[in-house]
Amino acid sequence: MSAETIPSLSPRRMAWFPTRGRISWFEIALLLIACALVVSGMASSLQDVLLLSFLFGGLALAWNIAGGYAGLISFGHSAFFGVGAYASTILSTRYGITPWIGIWIGALIAAMFGAVLALICARLRGPFFILSTLAFAEVVRIGALNWSSLTGGAEGLSIMPAPSLIGMVFASKAAYAALMLFYLVAVFAITKGLEASRFGYYLFAIRDNEDAAGAAGVNPLLGRTAALALSAALTGIGGSLFAQYFLYLDPTYVISPELSFQFALLPAVGGLGTAIGPVLGSFLITPLSELLRSYLGSSAVGLHLVIYSFGLIVVMLYFPAGLAGALDKLTRRGRPR
Amino acid sequence: MSALLEVRHVSRSFRTTLAVDDASFEVQPGELLGLIGPNGAGKSTLFNLVAGVIAPSSGQILFDGKPIQGWKSHDIARVGVARTFQIPKPYRQLSVIENVMLSAFLREKSIAGARRLAEATLADVGLDAYGGSPASSLTVGLLKRLEVARALAMRPKLVLFDEIMAGLTPTEVGAMTKFVAGLPARGITVIWVEHVLYAIMKTATRMVVVNRGKKIAEGTPTELARHPEVVKAYLGEEMDLA
Repeated sequence: MSAETIPSLSPRRMAWFPTRGRISWFEIALLLIACALVVSGMASSLQDVLLLSFLFGGLALAWNIAGGYAGLISFGHSAFFGVGAYASTILSTRYGITPWIGIWIGALIAAMFGAVLALICARLRGPFFILSTLAFAEVVRIGALNWSSLTGGAEGLSIMPAPSLIGMVFASKAAYAALMLFYLVAVFAITKGLEASRFGYYLFAIRDNEDAAGAAGVNPLLGRTAALALSAALTGIGGSLFAQYFLYLDPTYVISPELSFQFALLPAVGGLGTAIGPVLGSFLITPLSELLRSYLGSSAVGLHLVIYSFGLIVVMLYFPAGLAGALDKLTRRGRPR
Repeated sequence: MSALLEVRHVSRSFRTTLAVDDASFEVQPGELLGLIGPNGAGKSTLFNLVAGVIAPSSGQILFDGKPIQGWKSHDIARVGVARTFQIPKPYRQLSVIENVMLSAFLREKSIAGARRLAEATLADVGLDAYGGSPASSLTVGLLKRLEVARALAMRPKLVLFDEIMAGLTPTEVGAMTKFVAGLPARGITVIWVEHVLYAIMKTATRMVVVNRGKKIAEGTPTELARHPEVVKAYLGEEMDLA
């Protein structure tokens, strides 16, 4: 067995391809392409796809902090998404508080929900944890449905579309695309920072071996709680942005197993526990699901889901480490390992 | 001189089984205490009690004069008790040096500082050539050394070694024995559980022998080799051939 060189031991030169804890040219190039697409003035329907890819990229990254880095696979993240969406919307429509502030309040409440979930499920691992997250989101959804004096119940809430910067409602889709891209870049930067931090290492340790982490002085419950709270807060912000774009929400629309699965799926396809993975996953899956839905949704109801699922199975079979894993393998070929 | 670790009348039962039965012993600073006994004697349970993996049903455990029984393992780690795992528990998705850095974070809060301490510790146990390898690629012998490196990178006052020789080649056993024997001189007190008896008999300053959850003997290795209870526990009753 030969010794390997540790990439992060030679931090002077910027890497070409994604490396843990560091920014690479690949990511800079992606960002430039994304910026160009925002200002390119493409057709409105394509702008829809673009900004949803950004939004879901950020949401996938937020999910990945819990699911990929801390090993807390959650199928309940739409609860945090819904909490964020409702918090900013209720604050702006009822109390006239600008969403620019409401978003942060929503993030805080979502973080508290995340911490509560982590503490409730403190002793649960693996499939038991996953099932309890699913149940948790259902509880939140049913709660939102029944607390109609606050949430409007099944009728939902609408944000009156009067475009203004202070109301975070825009007439142009390019403005929304820029907003969503900013969200994506922010969550990406947080993820990169996490990868290079002590806290990030603690999460890796808790994920890989909790007993060993405890023996090294790492408090696993604290780590899991913090990871889930951070992940939930960032997901809540995504929920607020979603509400500001669609200008309507009802409990079953923003809190659903389908949405939760989507958050988990994008990082799984793109590459769990990597920063670039969820972004690649969203750029592949979000346009695909939107296109399939618009082309097949009306002619053969449900057919787009069949094709979509088939594609997923193929990815899982041939790229178990996701797109990021495949990219890593490809770019490492010929390099000394 | 006051004891670094005091185990006072500690018992632990699992349902109807009494795994540790009223065990008491002390470890002085700078000692290398061997803890031996046949399979199922309760050595591992005793270890897990001191390391905080499980809490005693009754009794007291004092470290540096402070009661620590019932503490969580991460709190016990923070006051200066490190341990290895009998079956190595590496962080499989991390590299070897990152495995050690996670222990080093206890003393070095910065990434760079932890990396330096981890590099020094890897060199200490002879793993410096494997720093960048994924932990999942190591052989059993190397994983055992990684366990030792992780424990030592915490700069502990007391380290608990749980069968670090099992699965090693005779040459590796020799090197490891020498290494462990040198730890007390560096200010690290050692409690060592081992099945490879010749290694531990050579190095331990004192030994505690347990069988069926009870301490049956205590003394220097030479004393114990002739102790009738110890011989009985390991070899069975003397047969009367007359």
